[in-house]
Amino acid sequence: MSLPFFAELVLRTDEARREFETHPVVLDAVAHGMTLERYSKLLMELFHLVWHFNPICAAAASRVSDEERSIRYFLYEHIHEESGHEEWVLNDLEAVGVLRETAPLTSPSVFVTALCGYNYWCADRRHPCSALGMMYSLEVIASVYGGPFASAISESLLLENRRGVSFISSHAEMDAQHMISLRLALNTVTKKEAKDAIVESALVNFHHFTKMFAAI
Amino acid sequence: MNERQRNQLVTLMSRPYRYIRLEWSSDLCALRVRTCVKPIQCYSLAAMAELQRVFSDISESKGLVRHFVMTSDVPGVFNFGGDLSLFVLLIRARDEESLRMYGRRCVDLVWWMETASQIGVHTTVLVQGDTLGGGLESVISFHKVIFEQSAQAGFPEVLFNLFPGMGGWNFVIRKAGFAIANEMILSGALYTAEQLQRRHLVDMVVPDGSGEAAIEQLLNSVHPRLNGTLAALEGRRYASPITYESMLEIVDHWATTALKLTDRDLRLMERLARAQARKAGGQEEGAVDEIKRMELDQAWDEERTGITEWTALA
Repeated sequence: MSLPFFAELVLRTDEARREFETHPVVLDAVAHGMTLERYSKLLMELFHLVWHFNPICAAAASRVSDEERSIRYFLYEHIHEESGHEEWVLNDLEAVGVLRETAPLTSPSVFVTALCGYNYWCADRRHPCSALGMMYSLEVIASVYGGPFASAISESLLLENRRGVSFISSHAEMDAQHMISLRLALNTVTKKEAKDAIVESALVNFHHFTKMFAAI
Repeated sequence: MNERQRNQLVTLMSRPYRYIRLEWSSDLCALRVRTCVKPIQCYSLAAMAELQRVFSDISESKGLVRHFVMTSDVPGVFNFGGDLSLFVLLIRARDEESLRMYGRRCVDLVWWMETASQIGVHTTVLVQGDTLGGGLESVISFHKVIFEQSAQAGFPEVLFNLFPGMGGWNFVIRKAGFAIANEMILSGALYTAEQLQRRHLVDMVVPDGSGEAAIEQLLNSVHPRLNGTLAALEGRRYASPITYESMLEIVDHWATTALKLTDRDLRLMERLARAQARKAGGQEEGAVDEIKRMELDQAWDEERTGITEWTALA
């Protein structure tokens, strides 16, 4: 009996997920948090990722075939839910003493630039369903590691309640819900070329996100 | 060793592995597996796939391997058990099917240990550091279990509202009896090597640093009596049977239970995962210390509310 596609995706990308989890910089950040300077830098990088997330999903949605319309509707809903979340990143930046106006003016690292470029290219040329691979890796990172990381940051920077970590901590909770709907959407994908594109996209997103995090 | 066995040995030893290292000792026909899932030594899907490959190779080369020995190459840790982050991922995604698949893969590894005597293989494990949850479940399925003195082990799953579902009940009941299984699994407590030996789950406790010599001594003492020993171990299986079906039933129940974990339970699981990350990052304190803190928290809570496990059951 063949596995549902979500389980197959978990299996085929598990090592990439663990590469992220066990990277020394990530391990250290989850265990001990970060300095204010490094955390601000991370938020700046996240701003660019979040800013491009919805346009990538929109590009993908516009190219999804009628046959896979359930994926298109899923992308519409997701775009709606993620709208305006870059503001949360800007609020957190402000809470740690960085002017919110600076984030859009800074250039992201080469890893974030390459990642966004890859995700746009995938939506346009590779396969529109590959946006689900991007979504899977980012939601795994948020829902599995977001909570412990937000705790570590709050402890190391002596931040109270959710001040300064609202984006990460709320995504850790919200993405738990998103993971369920993403699993159901992924399980509707049947075509091999779509599945392969999703797996490839998840692998690239885990890889570049790890590189971005390590370079902070 | 005949030509066919020589070829089988070459196949067995030449596969590229990332998380395990193999060593062959021709005088005793002993295969040694050193596990190294760095920096967090646990049963990840990839590591389990490598172990399963080794087991399949051994099964397909009947008569080649007579002793299977397992040790850890990660200092201070034998195995932390299940991949906690993967559990959090699958539980948050409400993916019972994948949880069951993970559990069944674990059961398949433990079942190979249980049936190793059938294919003429005697199994020995040396534990030189902490072994928790699924790590301990894997250990007690070996024929001979050696612990170095400072090694500690336990089933902490109940602390985050779960239970060990991959052979823990079956093997502790067989080796130590119902009462001890209840005590160990329902308390979530940690045990020293000597405490485990008193409970008949560990066969030999040796001073730290003497584990390697103990393996050699054990293998040399078993080898001349290998046929009789393996036949006796087969007899033990008839006397106290563990069935694959019962293990699958338990693991399916484990997957269903895992989906009932609350956010609070998952946060406790994440707390343990964070402690593992601290230890992997070189800090002295790790998951074992975190479990002790969690036990204390629970005891304080019982003290404060007057509710204990037993009064709650009354």
